[in-house]
Amino acid sequence: MKYPDLDRLVPDYVKHFEAYIPSKPDDVLKRLFGCRYLYRLNNNENPLGPPPVAQSIIKRFPPHSASIYPSGDAYHLRYKLADRFGLNPEQFLVGNGANEVITFVIKAFCQEGDNIITADGTFAVYEWVAEFSGFEARLVPLKNFGFDDEGMLSHIDERTKILFVCNPNNPTGSYWSEDKLRNFLDKINGRQIVVVDEAYFEFVEKEDYPDSIKLLSEYPNLVVFRTFSKMYGLAGLRIGYLVGSLDVVNIIRRTCVVYSVNVLAQEAAFAAIDDQEHIFKTREMVKKGKDFLVKELDLLRLQYVNGEGNFIMIKLPMSDSLAYRKLMSKGIMVRTMTGFRFPNWIRVTIDKLEVMEAFIEALSKVLNTARIENQKKL
Amino acid sequence: MNNNINKDKGILLSIRVDPTFLPVATSFVENSALAFGLNKKEALALTLATEEIFLYLIKASSTDHIITIRCSSGIYYVKADFLFSANNFNMRAFNLTTTISPHEEASLEEMGLLIASRSVDRLQVKQEGAQSIHLILTKEKSYPSVDEFDLTTLPSVENVVEFSIKSATGEDLKLFVMLLNSHYKSFSFPKDFRFPGKVVDMVRSGEYEAVVAIDQKERIIGGTLWHWLGSKTVECFGPYIFTQGSDLSIAERLIEECIKAIAKSDAVGLINRYPTLELPKDYFEPLGSLTFFTKDGSPFSITAYFRQMQEDLGSTVWSHPALEEFLKEEYKRLVLPRMIRLVRDQGETKEQFSVLSAEFDRINNFVTLRPLCSGLDSDKNIGAHLDLFKKESLSTIFFEMDLGKSWQVEFVPALFNHNFKPRIILPYGGIGDIVLFQLGEKH
Repeated sequence: MKYPDLDRLVPDYVKHFEAYIPSKPDDVLKRLFGCRYLYRLNNNENPLGPPPVAQSIIKRFPPHSASIYPSGDAYHLRYKLADRFGLNPEQFLVGNGANEVITFVIKAFCQEGDNIITADGTFAVYEWVAEFSGFEARLVPLKNFGFDDEGMLSHIDERTKILFVCNPNNPTGSYWSEDKLRNFLDKINGRQIVVVDEAYFEFVEKEDYPDSIKLLSEYPNLVVFRTFSKMYGLAGLRIGYLVGSLDVVNIIRRTCVVYSVNVLAQEAAFAAIDDQEHIFKTREMVKKGKDFLVKELDLLRLQYVNGEGNFIMIKLPMSDSLAYRKLMSKGIMVRTMTGFRFPNWIRVTIDKLEVMEAFIEALSKVLNTARIENQKKL
Repeated sequence: MNNNINKDKGILLSIRVDPTFLPVATSFVENSALAFGLNKKEALALTLATEEIFLYLIKASSTDHIITIRCSSGIYYVKADFLFSANNFNMRAFNLTTTISPHEEASLEEMGLLIASRSVDRLQVKQEGAQSIHLILTKEKSYPSVDEFDLTTLPSVENVVEFSIKSATGEDLKLFVMLLNSHYKSFSFPKDFRFPGKVVDMVRSGEYEAVVAIDQKERIIGGTLWHWLGSKTVECFGPYIFTQGSDLSIAERLIEECIKAIAKSDAVGLINRYPTLELPKDYFEPLGSLTFFTKDGSPFSITAYFRQMQEDLGSTVWSHPALEEFLKEEYKRLVLPRMIRLVRDQGETKEQFSVLSAEFDRINNFVTLRPLCSGLDSDKNIGAHLDLFKKESLSTIFFEMDLGKSWQVEFVPALFNHNFKPRIILPYGGIGDIVLFQLGEKH
């Protein structure tokens, strides 16, 4: 069999794209770093898990149902979402996590030569999907840790199709108020699609934080992303959705892969939506964890950015990747921020109090060891 | 930076390895080299190397074999790639220590390869498959060194109120290089940085990137450069600061600029083997130190620094049993998750001759050996190289071993036998981690 001529077969934009390699499974990591346990503070997952009603659905899932295809377009879930938000079910598209709906939107609107605009220090999947699909991703540096609205507007040209705003932003937790978002949408004036990714929507309690879904009737070029991976604790089942105006969603549906969301994810998400108590409990846990963490970080004299969402960004007096390895050897997994162009910063997911205590204990040891090593050098 | 030049894939020639086509190959390389900017003498050196390789191949392969020659420009050098298959390609002649005996026919046959290797500045050999060989010959352009300029007249900068960072090209870069030569000792930068025009071309080629710090009057007050070492590692230099008293915030901004520039690339590590006092240590971790000697023979050490650019996913490295203890201790100290796989000799047939490449830094009086292939004569070959270096009064000798290539660890017993000591690990410096050995002081 002749070996394929990959140089001819592979498009240039794929050749130059470096594949993202996810971290190894926990059992392998524990063996590699020699730790007995592992607290995952790297992916902003909800340590409380899914709401109880969703948990019972998962527990009672009949094995024979695994042999039946799910609803190809998450029919019941879309109707439930429509009922909840007072919209048409056809305005919703459900995907295999929010990552998949990012792909739907970019494929629906971009063609060769087009570009998308987003921030430099934000969730990287908008940029990745654009680039490995052959479209330019224009990255605008953050301003004071937040999305720079004027900067984004200044990068628009006639080939700009989509602007992605992560609100609140991952990893800085900054957010645009409703006034700022409206002002931005007014200036765009329907010329491009504006995607507002609200993956952490349910964590935000600030009064001026916008509920973008309510703006859809005024801004038909607006598309809103939500996910069940964060607040609703269903990250392992992969389910998220987008919502937009009927005309826009009808276009996006053409690039939507049906049957990509499994039946268990659809049923668990369907049940999870109603559980307000779960949201209160999670918010309470995040508040306690943040209060504790902020107090301890002040004592350690570390700079941090405590924005919205279930995470905090911390600047260390050492390389973030070295801190990652040292924390891993103590059973704590955090996210390094060099890849977000924040050298020496880490992002830490807020967990239950006892886990936050374990994190601070491990971090203190790592910093103390570094200080002793530095003193020895002097 | 002129990316269009960097993206130039060069000019290709594919011909049969037939004596009839020898003039085609040589004129192709000569004219390409001239077109890419080498002077006549430099172009002829590359042409001579081509002629010798082609003549050797005529004997080592049949006339229906195809050789592909690709000439490309790196702005400050011209590279000729030779891709061919040969049944009996003996690379022994690429050893620096090779001498030709007029009484041995086999030895005379290899003289051509010897001439080829000595005619160029860099030689790389890659074995791609059982008989597929990839030879890369590089000839650099000549540039005037800083010795030809009066560095004492360079402006000194005081009263810096504020500063900013910008990309450096052209005249800024030439001034920066002269400033760094006037402010820092030669061990603080690689020998290429003694040639301002060359650095300009290195940046223009896209292989190097440079940023400078300028003050409120747009005077250059510092800078740093970086370049890729292989596909996973970036090497940075300095940072170099020219203001009175070292301002660490300038150094920090320069290093941050470098880190941010490569943050979204596939770089796994950033290393610095030429650190200055101003290097912001919080951004790096020390790998260990290497010993060098001043011209009067006094020893001094330089610490190599590393920064991992991504979360470490763990990896596997090859080791000889004699090196295992060192690796375990270092990996523990550096908190690097590694699976060590031992390579043991189980009687399998080996190549007869090993091949080493040698890279000299005559200004700083050191040489780095790198294995091109292993063989039964590893011990003898290393010994012969050491004898040669002794004759040339070279006191500092390094050996770079890639732990991602199992055959390279076969050199470990010979290295220990000749009093080499493993000094530092450069994580992800090659296919795998690189161990840098240094010859012990008794040499």
